[in-house]
Amino acid sequence: MHVPLSPLLIARVLRSPGEVFAAFAERPPSARRVFFRFALWLLVLPPLFAYIGTVTFGWRLGVAPIMLARPVVAAISASYFVLLLFGLLSTAVIARWMAKTYGARESLGASIALVAVVGVPLALGSAAHLYPHAFLNVLVLVPALIWSMYLLYRGLPIVLGTDPGRGMLMASSLIAYLLVAWVSLLGLTVVLWSRGIGPRIGA
Amino acid sequence: MSAVVVHYEDRIVTAFTAAAVAWTLIGMLAGVYVAAELVWPALGFDSPWLSFGRLRTVHTHAVVFGFAVSALIGTAFYSVQRTSHVRLFAPRLAWFVFYAWQGTCVLGALSLLAGMNASKEYAELEWPFDLAIAAAWISFGVVFFGTIAKRRIGPIYISNWFYGALIIVVAMLHVVNSLALPATLTKSYPVYAGAQDAIVQWWYGHNAVGFLLTGGFLGMLYYYLPKQAERPIWSYRLSIVAFWAFVYSYIWAGPHHLHYNAIPEWVQSLGMVMSLILLAPSWATMINGVMTVSGAWRKLKTDPALKFIVLSLAFYGLATFEGPMMAIRSVNVLSHFTEWTIGHVHSGALGWNALITFGTFYFLVPRLAGRPLWSTRLANVHFWLALAGVMLYVIAMWGAGVSQGLLWLTLDELGEVRYGFTDVMAAMAPYYALRLLAGGLFLGGAALMAINLWRTIAGLETVRVAPPAGALAAETRS
Repeated sequence: MHVPLSPLLIARVLRSPGEVFAAFAERPPSARRVFFRFALWLLVLPPLFAYIGTVTFGWRLGVAPIMLARPVVAAISASYFVLLLFGLLSTAVIARWMAKTYGARESLGASIALVAVVGVPLALGSAAHLYPHAFLNVLVLVPALIWSMYLLYRGLPIVLGTDPGRGMLMASSLIAYLLVAWVSLLGLTVVLWSRGIGPRIGA
Repeated sequence: MSAVVVHYEDRIVTAFTAAAVAWTLIGMLAGVYVAAELVWPALGFDSPWLSFGRLRTVHTHAVVFGFAVSALIGTAFYSVQRTSHVRLFAPRLAWFVFYAWQGTCVLGALSLLAGMNASKEYAELEWPFDLAIAAAWISFGVVFFGTIAKRRIGPIYISNWFYGALIIVVAMLHVVNSLALPATLTKSYPVYAGAQDAIVQWWYGHNAVGFLLTGGFLGMLYYYLPKQAERPIWSYRLSIVAFWAFVYSYIWAGPHHLHYNAIPEWVQSLGMVMSLILLAPSWATMINGVMTVSGAWRKLKTDPALKFIVLSLAFYGLATFEGPMMAIRSVNVLSHFTEWTIGHVHSGALGWNALITFGTFYFLVPRLAGRPLWSTRLANVHFWLALAGVMLYVIAMWGAGVSQGLLWLTLDELGEVRYGFTDVMAAMAPYYALRLLAGGLFLGGAALMAINLWRTIAGLETVRVAPPAGALAAETRS
């Protein structure tokens, strides 16, 4: 059966991820369909929450709140969206590229579906951005991240149709890529910021 | 002539393994204690012996010199015999290495607690200990290279190249960096002054990370990963190319610890560029490891040890990418002196060094004992505790470090620093609590390992293994 791609899918992922994975495995969706009808909407959530939270409460790093002008916050949120988009698509493309090594299905649609489903807990956890206190976000996003990792290890062998042992290795390789991508993002942000591109958070 | 006279000298491997496990617990307990002191400063009890400054050096001393070096010497003695098909050269000298090293580490830890400190990071021990370390280390080199010299196999296997580089380079670093003029038995002054002292210190400091915590453990990887996976290295040629590229580029990277300091700018730039180049050989090895293990997926179900090694490769990839990135000056401006650096070190030390050693011990101890691991289930629990611990640790320190860097660089209307020491420390408190939890999880996992390994080998003599028949015949003839 086709997986109905609607926001309701989020609830199904949380309740019975196994069914969702099995359904995607049975009928892998086309890349375009799963991207526009499902993945894209998940990507919108974190920047939206971040915008609302930052405009309302300001960044809180444990000292007095740092308030930023609205256009600055809008630009940061838009960049955030672009980076999430890059993260999702690059991970899916890399999963398709790795598939051969690990005897998995080489389908971009299935890869996007997998990455999107895995990202559901993180996308929902990003509701913590509504109050952009750094430590609160760490506290909420760490369990969300563990949940997402669980979904990756469980879902990958099913959706991409490979042996659980090989799936475990492939999932670990994807995590290594994501860790490196995350650290690159951190570094890139710091380079831009230390060169004067980005918000002035002092005076 | 009887053909049963020659056996591998493996009792010393058991001894070093036991010592390494003990140092794991001591070093990590000290780490967890100082992490707790950052949350509850009252835990210092106003005693200098329990002060953060002293206990923190005991922590790094115990994990680097106690745990990492004991694990490296033990695994090197085990693998060099098997890749050379001969018994260890000069076994008595090898036992001298064991007692000299453990004695130096124990007395050294006590001297640090007592406040004797040479004030050089990762080289804190005073000059009498430096002499003892040099004696033990050179003896280690004699035993190791002596074994290679009498080998019965023509080519020198790649793991031995890495272990060999560890021995030679660490000897050179230790001797040069420790040159000092003794004033009394417990106090000396370095022969270098000012910026030169700093450059020598970080040439030592970074290459200790490079040749001990990276190169030495790559030696471990190149022997124990193929053994566990029961497959040859994916590309032997790549491993050789990576070795020489690694040796050549690592030695220059030290000055990235001194960005924006009073050393010439071109030295900083050189350190930065060589750090970036270093990424290539580091990742060549990671790819080699990942591709070797990717053919051994069937073993993952039954072998808990292999999981540790797979995960250690992921963290090796992360740490060796993050390091060069943090060496870029415009990243370093924010990250330097913050908790981000501490997080980076621990993604390497816990995620790479500790995990690959744990995986190797789970492989090694059942073989030394001659019976299966006491509990596979407990090893699996250890795996998840270790993963949770290291992830939580790294995430907490990213959060803390980036916040800290941003706060330090925030200026007020007059161009003065806006947030003072107490403001920033107060903002760090929750992250420190999270780090304490992370360290506790990791230590708990290590304690389970200690119990598991103890129950596996307790009361048993180390199994006596003979070299393969052809080599044995050749050795008994000679």
